[in-house]
Amino acid sequence: MGKPSDLIQGTLDLLILKTVSLEPKHGWAIAKRIQQVSQDALQVTQGSLYPALHRLEQQGWLRAKTGQTDTGREAKFYALTPAGRKQLARELESWDRLSGAIGLVVRDGEA
Amino acid sequence: MPRTLDRLWHRLRALLLRRRADTSLAAEIALHLEEAEREHRARGLGPAEARLAARRDFGGVALIEEQCRDTRRVALAQSLIQDLRYGLRALLAQPLVVLAATASIGAGAGATAFVVNLASELLLAKPSGRDVDALVNIRLDGNSHVSYADWRALDDAGALDGLAGYHVEGSVNIRQGDRTDAVVPMLVTANFFDVLGVPLALGRGFTAVEAAAERNPRLVVVSDGFWRARLGADPGAVGRALIVNGEPYTILGVLPKGLKSMPGFGLAPEVYLPLSGALLPGLYHPHAAAAQLVGRLKPGAGIAQAAAALDTVVRRRRVEDPDRPRHLGAMTPVTSGVPGLGSIWSFFAVLVVVGGLVLGIACANVAGLLLARNTVRQKELALRVALGASRARVAQQLFVESIWLAVLGTISGVLVMVLAMAVVGNVPLPLPLPLELGVPLDWRLFALTLSMVVIATVASGVLPALSGSRDALSPALKQTERAYVHRRWTLRGLLVIGQVTLSVGLVVTALLFVRNLSLARTSSPGFDTAQTVVAQLGLVESRYTPETRVAFLQQAVERVEALPGVERAAFAFGMPLSIRHGRTSGARLTIAGEPATSGFPASWAENIVGPGYFDTIGIARRQGRDFTAADTVGTPPVAIVNETFVRRYLSGRTPIGLHVMLPGPGHDIDHEIVGVVADSRHRSIGESQMAAIYLAYLQRPADGRVVHVLARVSGDPAASLRPVASVLAELDRSAAVDVQTVSQSLAFAFLPSRVGAALLGGLGAIGLTLAMAGLFAMVSYSVTRRTKEIGVRMALGAPAGAVVRLVVADAAVLVATGLVIGLVLAALVTQPLAMFLVDGLSPHDPLAFAGTALLFAAVSVAATIPPVRRAIGVGPLVALRTE
Repeated sequence: MGKPSDLIQGTLDLLILKTVSLEPKHGWAIAKRIQQVSQDALQVTQGSLYPALHRLEQQGWLRAKTGQTDTGREAKFYALTPAGRKQLARELESWDRLSGAIGLVVRDGEA
Repeated sequence: MPRTLDRLWHRLRALLLRRRADTSLAAEIALHLEEAEREHRARGLGPAEARLAARRDFGGVALIEEQCRDTRRVALAQSLIQDLRYGLRALLAQPLVVLAATASIGAGAGATAFVVNLASELLLAKPSGRDVDALVNIRLDGNSHVSYADWRALDDAGALDGLAGYHVEGSVNIRQGDRTDAVVPMLVTANFFDVLGVPLALGRGFTAVEAAAERNPRLVVVSDGFWRARLGADPGAVGRALIVNGEPYTILGVLPKGLKSMPGFGLAPEVYLPLSGALLPGLYHPHAAAAQLVGRLKPGAGIAQAAAALDTVVRRRRVEDPDRPRHLGAMTPVTSGVPGLGSIWSFFAVLVVVGGLVLGIACANVAGLLLARNTVRQKELALRVALGASRARVAQQLFVESIWLAVLGTISGVLVMVLAMAVVGNVPLPLPLPLELGVPLDWRLFALTLSMVVIATVASGVLPALSGSRDALSPALKQTERAYVHRRWTLRGLLVIGQVTLSVGLVVTALLFVRNLSLARTSSPGFDTAQTVVAQLGLVESRYTPETRVAFLQQAVERVEALPGVERAAFAFGMPLSIRHGRTSGARLTIAGEPATSGFPASWAENIVGPGYFDTIGIARRQGRDFTAADTVGTPPVAIVNETFVRRYLSGRTPIGLHVMLPGPGHDIDHEIVGVVADSRHRSIGESQMAAIYLAYLQRPADGRVVHVLARVSGDPAASLRPVASVLAELDRSAAVDVQTVSQSLAFAFLPSRVGAALLGGLGAIGLTLAMAGLFAMVSYSVTRRTKEIGVRMALGAPAGAVVRLVVADAAVLVATGLVIGLVLAALVTQPLAMFLVDGLSPHDPLAFAGTALLFAAVSVAATIPPVRRAIGVGPLVALRTE
């Protein structure tokens, strides 16, 4: 039951928040969407997806609603709350800073 | 903070709607699995393979569900409820363990609570009254009592919001029909009820005006006990007459049940009477010790302020009359308890320590039990860890089981305490004073027991819980590796040592008191207790002058001697070893004819006796003569001393014929020593031998209302009780007559050692049993754990004897370590007990210490042998297979 490192955990939150910011989605769809958009580079393990969803809901950034899937099944759809939108902005900003900083470090001397 | 509220709502909802949340989670996961399965099928897998693949990708469903639940943060509350349920079930599966643990903690906590309770009741109980926090005890100079005139003057001075006095010594005679009994009264100043605001159940208390001593009040307020026992709980008792000292008094009121009297100690005077010249002859004498003072502070006034005001009054009076008290001695709040009771305090301190020891042993016991249980459950715990439980979670579960023990322990603790209180309440103590130890079972007692049980359970639950959870973290299910590794200084070993240490202290104390009792019983008081009877006479003082009193006593002795079976009779002021044993004096003595500088400080017991006293009570006369009927007022004063007096103070002189200057009223009086008698006990059976001086009653008719008539009989002393009583009662109908055999009258003298032996012996027995059971369980358990090791040793050819030695030696090291530490600590603990022990019994009595050591050695061997025998009896192969 190894826990994901802080970086990965933080990144997963960001990915989830970003994914549901466009429209409410259920768990499976969130995982699929991340996989597709990243062109299969990012595989969200279910073991971390659901606890993360529940945690985000707990923190008030996501709100769960019952909705219909494409196949007509009832499912739990996660939507971004206003607080979640602010959190997404914060996370995006810190991600930009972080990735930019990492970029500067790893590309140092190449230019 | 709407977010916080929102989150809280989420959690609450999750807790309340746990089932629904779980269903929704399950549905969510099921959907996920379905979608994954569909995708796999779309890639061309068969239905079964697709389902498997989806599951494989997903991982442990249960684990993920659990993690999701954890995020809801209701896990703690939820798992607590779960643990409580599980804990109860697990405990009930081992009822013996539960019973032992509960009983241990209950006995320890109950016993301690009982002792604390008794002590606080005896020493700290607040008297009943209105706003007792404003009441203060007052002493002038160093004296507890002041004269009647002093009380009057100080009360009138108005420094306080009322100043009352009371007087508990002595007794009054109550006649009902043909019976006259002496009862202990509380003589109080007229304003007593006004100042203290003592509550009444029926009627009222007397007021300052109607009860003024100068008006010779004939009023009485009776206690609840008196009202029930002697007035038949008559609701119409108020207004009836009661014959006190031969005169009718009007009953004004009845005090409520459970009233706490002013002097404290659970003392419950049976009647409250206004001070008067009739009840306290010499009341108006300027030096008579008439009353102890209790005052009420003025509203808003501090104690320092009041003390200063009163001190000014006292000093001003002193200027007017140099014969008055010099200054205010002390002013202390009534609620601060009774001062100057060091010995009673230390007795209870010892009891509390002993109670604490019992509790400590109980804790060690329970810790041992839990530890043993955890070891047995190692695999279960390992399994829980393997399934993902955190260490905190396992510790929580183990700890929760102790909560159940606490609940059960409290119940049994309260039961033990109730039982103990019932026993104490119903055992009649041979006390010369009426004591009422009404100890109500209120919430404070319950809280006390509960807190002790909780502390005990936490203390005994923490270590095993932590060690249990640590053990569980050791590689799962690999317990087998440890079976061959034997460590001595484990937690369990330390528990054995701790338990032995504690119980050694307890057992030494208990043995010491049991020894004390047996020594006290067999030690001779120095006079005959087998063939003697003693009558205590309570005379109504106002009916006698010194001359008629002597005549009455001489007549009484004549009449008693005339009875069949009575060989000899005599009268005396004091009866040794009773509460009225005479006086204890101290002064600088000089011998007539020697220079004043040769004086020596001396202290001695003093009794004033009639002719024939020594022959009657059986104190041998060594030299010189006895007092005779010729030693009367007007003849030169004579005295008889005991051998210790001669040895201690008159060394090198011939005692007979010496003239000693003894302090008399006003000036020293020359007394000629005419006889020397054997030593005997005076105040208590355990005292160190006192020097004694006997004075001739006929020369110095003693004051005080109580005198004793003693008789030596040839047959069964019990048979002569009734004839002696009736002869004396015929002589003076108003006198209270109480006849006992001397051995019966000694019950009071044995009381301290008997109470000590009973209390400490009882606690000691509980503690010893607990310690023995714990020791037995732990030693035999650790031997059982080594069954496999023993099997290997036997298989490799170790002789049975060597194995036995090995195991026994192992237990012996633990027990011996505890024993040595315990004995050293016990030596320190028993030091303050010296004052309760009879002369000649050291608090480091070798017999008690050696006995304790032997006892523990025997028990530890006994605890080791059976399991070892079982272990070596089992074949090596079987032993190897045991788990």
